Amino acid sequence: MDLLLNGFAIAFTWQNLLYCLMGVSVGMLVGVLPGLGPSAGTAMLIPLTFGMEPISAIVMLSGIYYGAMYGGTITSVLIKTPGEAASVITMLDGHPMAQNGRAGVALGIAGIGSFIGGTLSIIGLAIVGPPLAKMALKFGPPEFFALMALGMTMVVGLMGKSLLKGVIAVLFGLTIAMIGTDPVTGMIRFTFNQTQLLDGVDFVVLTMGLFGLSEILLSAEEKLTNEKPPKVKGVLPRRDEWFPSLKAIFRGTWLGFFAGLIPGTNSVIPTMISYTMEKKFAKDPSRFGKGAIEGVAGPETANNSYCGGALIPLFTLGIPSSPTIAVLLGAFVLHGLTPGPTLFQNNPNFVWAVIASMFIGNFMLLIMNVPMAGFWAKITMIPFKLLFPIIIIIAVVGTYSINNSLFDVGAMLLFGLIGYFFKKAEIPLAPIALTFVLAETMENALLQSLTIYKGSFLGLFTRPISGTMLVICILVVIFSLWAGTKNKKIAADVEM
Amino acid sequence: MRNVGVTVSVFILLFAAFIFYQSFDFEYYGEFGPGPGFFPRWLGGILMVLSLLNIWQSIKGEIVWFSDVMPKGKELKTVLKICGSIILFIVVVPYTGFMIAGTLILFILFYPEYKWYRAIGMSVLTTLVVFVVFKVILHIPLPVNAFGI
Repeated sequence: MDLLLNGFAIAFTWQNLLYCLMGVSVGMLVGVLPGLGPSAGTAMLIPLTFGMEPISAIVMLSGIYYGAMYGGTITSVLIKTPGEAASVITMLDGHPMAQNGRAGVALGIAGIGSFIGGTLSIIGLAIVGPPLAKMALKFGPPEFFALMALGMTMVVGLMGKSLLKGVIAVLFGLTIAMIGTDPVTGMIRFTFNQTQLLDGVDFVVLTMGLFGLSEILLSAEEKLTNEKPPKVKGVLPRRDEWFPSLKAIFRGTWLGFFAGLIPGTNSVIPTMISYTMEKKFAKDPSRFGKGAIEGVAGPETANNSYCGGALIPLFTLGIPSSPTIAVLLGAFVLHGLTPGPTLFQNNPNFVWAVIASMFIGNFMLLIMNVPMAGFWAKITMIPFKLLFPIIIIIAVVGTYSINNSLFDVGAMLLFGLIGYFFKKAEIPLAPIALTFVLAETMENALLQSLTIYKGSFLGLFTRPISGTMLVICILVVIFSLWAGTKNKKIAADVEM
Repeated sequence: MRNVGVTVSVFILLFAAFIFYQSFDFEYYGEFGPGPGFFPRWLGGILMVLSLLNIWQSIKGEIVWFSDVMPKGKELKTVLKICGSIILFIVVVPYTGFMIAGTLILFILFYPEYKWYRAIGMSVLTTLVVFVVFKVILHIPLPVNAFGI
């Protein structure tokens, strides 16, 4: 508790408040503007944080992450174009509400739900984080390897359309990470004789290309029409709607939080489950799809609550569960912090200040969203033709500034094209970024485990925790193969 | 080469083959345990097999042609313009410095969506704002010329 109060003291300095405000505003912007997701938004702002204190930098970057969840709602409800994937479900009932002249209420309840879900899940993070980190300190290399393998299997097993393409993406990300210096012996590998590649491919370059540039290229193909958003007025629901909405909000909170804990999930999964659940619980399910308020409240709460939950594996195990968190992990490393079990012990000020800033940031977002929803609605009117050149110049400058290198700018273009064509070939991009950040730790963990067991892979199965996790991996693969043949997969191949 | 799945898989196959082949230059198993060649060799090897499988699936399964998924006309031009302008930036910036190169590529991207005089104005203004924010306020290095711009 003292630590959390201390965290608030750090978060309440005017610089950190300002960075928090900047972060959540950019997050809102990224959420509102179609064609730019939170992972690209976060990656693009990393270069801006080079001169900052690590705390301020992460406060700002994580603000983008949870801010985008709020922003995405607005376009879903008003113009039926989700700004990011976690708000796709919101369209189902949010847009009909707007058509019935209740856009304000939809945004209002989404804002309130997001705030409750976001705040409660951060409380969960503050409670669950430290003991979990303590437990993770006992983990050896086999456990870490098994955990990472589990995360990767979940990503491809549960979400992608094709298991084969998902696994290709996973291996592609790992293989790209092999370029550069070998972490164990310091040998130089696979650099194509380029001195710029001695340190390997830079993480920001990869994500900026894979998510930022490729998204811009893909949006450039679409004829985006700027629909005029309807007027937003009256943000509070009717008196008889409060009780069912609040029930939906609390169910969404639990759901999102626990979904966040599982490595390899993404924010879309809890929103879909929440929507289905609300429909099941409703007295009159036929209202859904025509503007049922629970259909907005539940999923919107779930995606924000997911954000807090998903930070737990990052803070305690150093394992990202979604591409945006992978970008955050990259930012941690750039600022000299090692996410993982030792983070709570070695950098308590940092962890608690970031957690405290999220309470503040969620409160800022509540104010930005509920009374100011109309203002953000106007931003959706910014035309793409004005936006994309600006995004490109920022991406180019940002990439250059990492190492003062034009080589990196070229590499970013290459990854942009790879992302673009992989998307066309339906190879998912999220696993590439996830495995790329984990590759070094994973190789280390695997080599150390094999050294312990004298080269026998079966040794990993003899330890209870790693054994269980690896068995789950195998089950997930079998389930995924079975579901693939029966066509029962959730086709939620989402990137951002 | 008109099949998207095949083309992309061949690209992955070549990359995987390169890693697999090169991994033989490194020790696979040393005195104490697996060496730097161990992980890449497995990765490259499995990736090669999987990309071959994907080639087979792209031919036998649902075929996706480039002509179906690639944009045409104006949209294709925008995509090419974006890639071209980044290449142009890399080529000219060492000679011209950031202000000129930045304005140049922004003009290419804004024009002809905006009238030429507006496009010039917007390009100069955007470059200037980026320059001030990055270089002056945040002290982030930019590729500048001898005059520092």
